[in-house]
Amino acid sequence: MNLRVPFATLDCASPIWTASGTFGYGREFAPYFDLARLGAIATKGISPEARAGNPVPRICETASGMINSIGLENVGAESFGRDKLPFLRQSGTNVIVNFFGETFDEYVACAASLDALDGVAALEMNVSCPNVKKGGVEFGVIPAVLTELTRACRSVTKRPLLVKLTPNTGDIVALARAAVAGGADGLSVINTVSAMAIDARRRRPRIATTYGGLSGPAIKPIALRMVHQVHTALPEVPISGIGGIASGEDVVEFLLAGATTVQIGTLSFSEPSAAARILDELSAFMEQERISDVRELIGALVVPAGC
Amino acid sequence: MPTEFSARVLANRALAPGLFVLELADCEPLVGCLPGQFVMVRGEWGRDPLLPRAFSLLSARHGKCELLIKALGRGSRLLERSAVGATLQLLGPLGRPFPVPRAERRDFLIAGGVGLAPLLWHAEEAVRAGAKVELFYGARQEAELVLRERIEATGCRVQFTTEDGSFGRPGRVTAALQARLDEEHPTLLTCGPNAMMRAVVEIARARNLACFVSVEGEMACGIGACLGCAVQSAPGAARAYHYACIDGPVFDALQVVLP
Ligand SMILES: Cc1cc2nc3c(=O)[nH]c(=O)nc-3n(C[C@H](O)[C@H](O)[C@H](O)COP(=O)(O)OP(=O)(O)OC[C@H]3O[C@@H](n4cnc5c(N)ncnc54)[C@H](O)[C@@H]3O)c2cc1C
Ligand SMILES: Cc1cc2nc3c(=O)[nH]c(=O)nc-3n(C[C@H](O)[C@H](O)[C@H](O)COP(=O)(O)O)c2cc1C
Ligand code: FES
Repeated sequence: MNLRVPFATLDCASPIWTASGTFGYGREFAPYFDLARLGAIATKGISPEARAGNPVPRICETASGMINSIGLENVGAESFGRDKLPFLRQSGTNVIVNFFGETFDEYVACAASLDALDGVAALEMNVSCPNVKKGGVEFGVIPAVLTELTRACRSVTKRPLLVKLTPNTGDIVALARAAVAGGADGLSVINTVSAMAIDARRRRPRIATTYGGLSGPAIKPIALRMVHQVHTALPEVPISGIGGIASGEDVVEFLLAGATTVQIGTLSFSEPSAAARILDELSAFMEQERISDVRELIGALVVPAGC
Repeated sequence: MPTEFSARVLANRALAPGLFVLELADCEPLVGCLPGQFVMVRGEWGRDPLLPRAFSLLSARHGKCELLIKALGRGSRLLERSAVGATLQLLGPLGRPFPVPRAERRDFLIAGGVGLAPLLWHAEEAVRAGAKVELFYGARQEAELVLRERIEATGCRVQFTTEDGSFGRPGRVTAALQARLDEEHPTLLTCGPNAMMRAVVEIARARNLACFVSVEGEMACGIGACLGCAVQSAPGAARAYHYACIDGPVFDALQVVLP
């Protein structure tokens, strides 16, 4: 049975990746399973300088999901290269460094400095950050800005550049096209969904920043729809599908919708070895269904005529 | 090293409305862990609740462990209904323990509500090690002062308090503590509601006593990955936040600002 898949120029041992911000810097999960079984690890989002993150409470659970407002806390590019990358480099899987900036120039500077590090397989650009110059609107929601930002980062790295799309938009396909026009080699679909939770008795928001990002099985149907729309519009562009994946069958659904790989996010909090269990379930599904190559599933959704 | 494992419910003992002890078997991975450490617990709940819940250990010996739980929300209420023989998923041991009892140190343990769990275990270990400890245990009313026989069985000096005066000394547990401190100069270990722990930390500061707190806020992962369990560092610290799951849950009170 073949589980190996290519993604842009990456060779992935399996279609299972772990999602940025939900897998620490990899080392936190090494006690629970062999990280080399993963197709890739997407690191915590890295910015040029270390960031302390948001006040607490930062997380709360909601129906089949959670809302977070961690505030993109991270160790910064320099410490990442020095203290975190050496472990990841020998983990036996592709290291995809998720990155962001507070300004346009910071994004580009961050991409350039990460490109210089040995052992980085690809970069994943997180565009779900407020753009202070544009009144705090996320960088990733205005197609023209997204194209320009992607192009600028593309020009400073030789590695594959993935753009991680935000679902907080009316037109995901327009954003996908904008990123590809800027030179994106692949798309990660989706980031968290803007949301809030309220404590009725205390009459207060449940997290300190009022709004946060919803993740977990609650968002899976939204993510599937967006992966399918993007794949239908841009069938040649590799997609890494993300959103609430909790089982091998969930993975199959994302592949059918058009994803080449998937990323396990919040489930790694419920169960540190979730990604390994999900990979086992994917193999079992393929065996039962007599599928010898996982690549057969990619985009193989059957939409009956008239739908 | 923390491990993911399945444990079997050996007993589920109701102590008072909404307060119960789960006794679990098949807990060999917890051998050697210490009072103040905790486990993340999940039942066969499907996707909702999604995240495991954190509980301090009331004991862990000979492949068994005990948890003292207050039924608050959905997760803990589901645990309250656990049948004997049911399987729970555990992750542990996690976090850093209270300072190990030592004969030359005198510990005062200040517990509020289910904050009793790690401190009762600490008291039992202290007595075994020949160290002197005193326990101050407060609740709102008598029914919530649980496990009293077991506390008495440790043989250590105990002061019970209730806010409504229905048992023990009336008033707050911190008032009982204040009264005793005029005679002694111990190390304070505390676990319970944040308001109570803040008051204990104030007392420690005023009297220049060493003090350790166990912070029991929201957690998602328990292993340092989500960064959801941030606790503000004390002013002047090198970093803005500590993490309850890996740097704590037990902190030197000088390290952090309690929420
Ligand atoms: C290290 C650690 C040790 C703990 N030890 C114990 C213990 O020994 N016994 C025990 O009964 N509880 C303990 N807790 C608290 C326990 O984890 C929470 O009570 C539990 O997660 C609540 O889950 P739930 O599903 O019942 O409630 P939810 O439905 O998740 O929430 C119910 C209410 O409780 C609040 N809440 C959620 N999590 C917490 C929390 N961690 N602390 C305070 N309020 C919370 C929510 O905001 C909500 O209002 C500990 C927590 C930590 C972090
Ligand atoms: C606590 C937390 C932190 C996250 N941090 C990042 C981040 O730094 N960069 C990023 O691009 N996405 C981040 N994400 C989004 C996830 O990578 C993923 O896109 C999202 O959670 C949806 O997947 P899931 O439902 O499987 O969790 C974070 C998500 C969570 C829950
Ligand atoms: S609970 Fe996730 S980092 Fe502490």
